[in-house]
Amino acid sequence: MELKATDVVVRLSRKDIVKQASLQVKGRQFVGLLGPNGSGKTTLLKSVYRVLKPASGIITLDDTDITRLPHRESAKRMGVVSQFTNMSFDFTVEEVVLMGRAPHKKALSRDTAEDFQIVEDSLRRVNMLEFRDRSFLTLSGGEKQRILLARTLAQQVDMMILDEPTNHLDIKYQIQIMDVVKSLNIGVLAALHDLNLTLMYCDYVYVMKDGCVVAHGCPEQIITSELIREVYEVDCDVMRHPKTGKLNVVYFSQSEWG
Amino acid sequence: MAISRKVYRMDKHLRQRHLMLSALTVGFAGLFVFSVLLAVTIGAVKIPLWDVYRIILYKLTHIPIGEASFLSKGTVYEIVWNIRMPRVLMGAIIGVLLAMCGVVMQATVQNPLADPYILGISSGASLGATFSIMIGASAVFTGVLAGMGTAFWAFAGALGAMSLVMLLASMGGGRITSAKLVLAGSVVGSLCSSFTNMIIYVGNSNSEDMKTVSYWLLGSMTSARWEKLLLPGICMGLGLLFFLTQGRTLNTLLLGDEAAITLGVDLAKRRKVYMVLTSLLSAVAVCTCGIVGFVGLMIPHIVRGFVGSDHRFLLPMAALTGGIFLIWADVLARVLIANTEIPIGVITSAVGAPIFVYMMVKKSYGFGGHD
Repeated sequence: MELKATDVVVRLSRKDIVKQASLQVKGRQFVGLLGPNGSGKTTLLKSVYRVLKPASGIITLDDTDITRLPHRESAKRMGVVSQFTNMSFDFTVEEVVLMGRAPHKKALSRDTAEDFQIVEDSLRRVNMLEFRDRSFLTLSGGEKQRILLARTLAQQVDMMILDEPTNHLDIKYQIQIMDVVKSLNIGVLAALHDLNLTLMYCDYVYVMKDGCVVAHGCPEQIITSELIREVYEVDCDVMRHPKTGKLNVVYFSQSEWG
Repeated sequence: MAISRKVYRMDKHLRQRHLMLSALTVGFAGLFVFSVLLAVTIGAVKIPLWDVYRIILYKLTHIPIGEASFLSKGTVYEIVWNIRMPRVLMGAIIGVLLAMCGVVMQATVQNPLADPYILGISSGASLGATFSIMIGASAVFTGVLAGMGTAFWAFAGALGAMSLVMLLASMGGGRITSAKLVLAGSVVGSLCSSFTNMIIYVGNSNSEDMKTVSYWLLGSMTSARWEKLLLPGICMGLGLLFFLTQGRTLNTLLLGDEAAITLGVDLAKRRKVYMVLTSLLSAVAVCTCGIVGFVGLMIPHIVRGFVGSDHRFLLPMAALTGGIFLIWADVLARVLIANTEIPIGVITSAVGAPIFVYMMVKKSYGFGGHD
């Protein structure tokens, strides 16, 4: 599975939110999309998962223009965990996850034992199996987020798009969600705001600023204190942790050091 | 064998609920038929049960029990077969139509307060009907248009209002959102009702006409005849056939626009199709028997309260409940006050409002949302 966006421009109410962005997720790469608030990450992702239409540029899934694919086809291959939006009707947790099976179902086909098994496995993977009968609307933000991940797991896709999936989550669940996604061994494109998580999980990163991709490459080479100062306007040190051998970002307070 | 049993035990939760809900649906279908058969025996004129059922049985199967002449003509036969039966069936059909449209409309605009009339159907139809009754089409138009009855003008008004709402909601580019639709609906609604009121104000204040208008605005099954059942009956059948296959899609719509798209629904297209179809179906209901309020809003809520939001069960259950509800509301309208017909809209609101308040107070059902 290969996802490719070439020269994408997205315009919202006459303003170019994404000015020029190209990126690529090859095979089973875990690709991070970085950038400060308002840099156009979410908008770019929305155009990839077909909620927004790019004003120009082309997005392909395995060399097929996604606008030529029926929505059901792209939903079989590409799943999305986005930031949770309000819902005004209630479902049980199990019903929500079962909806992940929707793209694989014909209008009149029944839910099979296999579908229920997939739902159960997905809930177990995010450690939410005991919540299966609960009403979705009564869950906490973090719990909802994990259920939405389970729904996307049930979709059984080869490419997953994540938009700040660990927002509102305790650090334990942030790591748990990232571990689950990583263990799927599928292509992942994730907008992330935590640079340390990015360094832990990503194989490749793209950095956006003001609607443009300003840098991309291997995270260890891209995430430097110079880039962070330029893109995020924050001073920091990037150093190797003695125990893990991985790079870590340590931020400095602006009042103390600036 | 062992494996399949294990699978069943493990996922008994949702699966068992699905089985239970299927059984419940079958039960309600039985209740629906039972309601039709019982409602036919009730009316202003007392007719023995035995006579009622002999006539119906003879009509359906041509098995005569007793004299064939009694079973196929005469006053009793007329009352049972040509007055009560179509009337009960009309209540059933309209109830099914409105409840079904309510369910679909609430999912389509993702708003638990939507009803089948949300796109201005009721106000447009009122305008059309009032125009036809108070002024008369022949006074304004010539040719074919002049000869059309109130039902035609109500339908035309409903479609006109619906098109206007859709047009307003899609103005200025961008997607049709539920907020835009609700706003456009209320704009067109108040526009139409101001015209309606103007017509009532300046039109001839013949009290007979006024009564016809108010009967129309509050809904009534008095006009039920066999031939009038054909169009709503066919629409109900086709509508049910279509929407029963759309359960999964309707479910994903409730998760929000984005979720629906990422789960493979072509949202823009589906939303338009659902809205136009439900509006057409509600317009058919409205031009058949006037505006019966509350059913399309309330029945989906009540049923959602005990069935849940899964449309594969909600839709058939709401349709059956709507039918049963209107059958009995119409029975009340016929017999509550001797020798007088109460408009059915009065009954549905009078019965519906307390139920709604009860659900509001009961808290465990949050009208879709939670505090």
